[in-house]
Amino acid sequence: MKRASILALSALLSLLLAACGNSGRPPAGVLGDPQSGKLALSQYACQACHIIPGVTGSEVYVGRPLDDLAKRRFIAGTLPNDQANLVRWIRDPQAIDPHTAMPDMGVSQQDALDMSAYLLSIGR
Amino acid sequence: MPSARTRLILKTAAWTLLGAGAVGAAVGMAVFFGGWYYIGATKHHFQSVYRLLEKGMQYSVRRNARDIEAPKLGAPEQVLRGAALYRDNCAQCHGGPGFAQSPIGMSMQPVPGPLIDASANWKERELYWITRHGIKMSGMPAWEYHLSDADIWATVAFIAKLPGMSAQDYRAITAQATTQASAAKEDR
Repeated sequence: MKRASILALSALLSLLLAACGNSGRPPAGVLGDPQSGKLALSQYACQACHIIPGVTGSEVYVGRPLDDLAKRRFIAGTLPNDQANLVRWIRDPQAIDPHTAMPDMGVSQQDALDMSAYLLSIGR
Repeated sequence: MPSARTRLILKTAAWTLLGAGAVGAAVGMAVFFGGWYYIGATKHHFQSVYRLLEKGMQYSVRRNARDIEAPKLGAPEQVLRGAALYRDNCAQCHGGPGFAQSPIGMSMQPVPGPLIDASANWKERELYWITRHGIKMSGMPAWEYHLSDADIWATVAFIAKLPGMSAQDYRAITAQATTQASAAKEDR
């Protein structure tokens, strides 16, 4: 009886862990390391303006929430949503939309690639 | 006199609580003195801990600022003064319309939030209180000893204008503030 309940509990726990951990795997064809990207997102203060699942931060609506970025067809209103465009947008938003409120954070190519890998892995 | 059975239950409960407390304290001390708590700024609080701290901060600011009476803000020269103060003292950590904070502000934890939406989240007197007294353990300094009262209110007046300000507007008003300041210096 006891063993059964322990088994059930550990099954539940591993299910929960799996549910939390499914952000780890990026979709096919996506380059970069999502886990490094998750850390980089917080080091470039992305969570100061955006709600990002998995990145601790305030409930803020200065930039749009990024929980469903992977599902969107366009980014910045004009760019087809693929990884290359996402990296371009993260690195130099003003080059794509001179009037955007999103600032240039001086993100390196590698960090932008990792960030985009994380953002494209969550909420699919 | 309670029955023997009740006494046994009470005794067991007391010893269990005491034992659990002692074990908890021992584990806590081991973690504390062993340096097992990771203090690096690359690892964040759990979202629930962050939320708790943030809520506590908000309630504290609300309470402490409740008796402050904000003067009438927004005269053009006050906003202009606030623009120069904002650019020189706030922008490096908080950023502004169309531009990010400096790397110092970006990598702080907790990250200094944007102020574009500050006037939607705070009353004027609360912004004044935060600027004047700072926020403990957040990196926000108390400006009381570095800025005059009038300057703190001017900063608040400028922050109140941020939501409607484009990057161009911001550049224009801060440039104008510089020109006026240097003109004022030459007058003296």
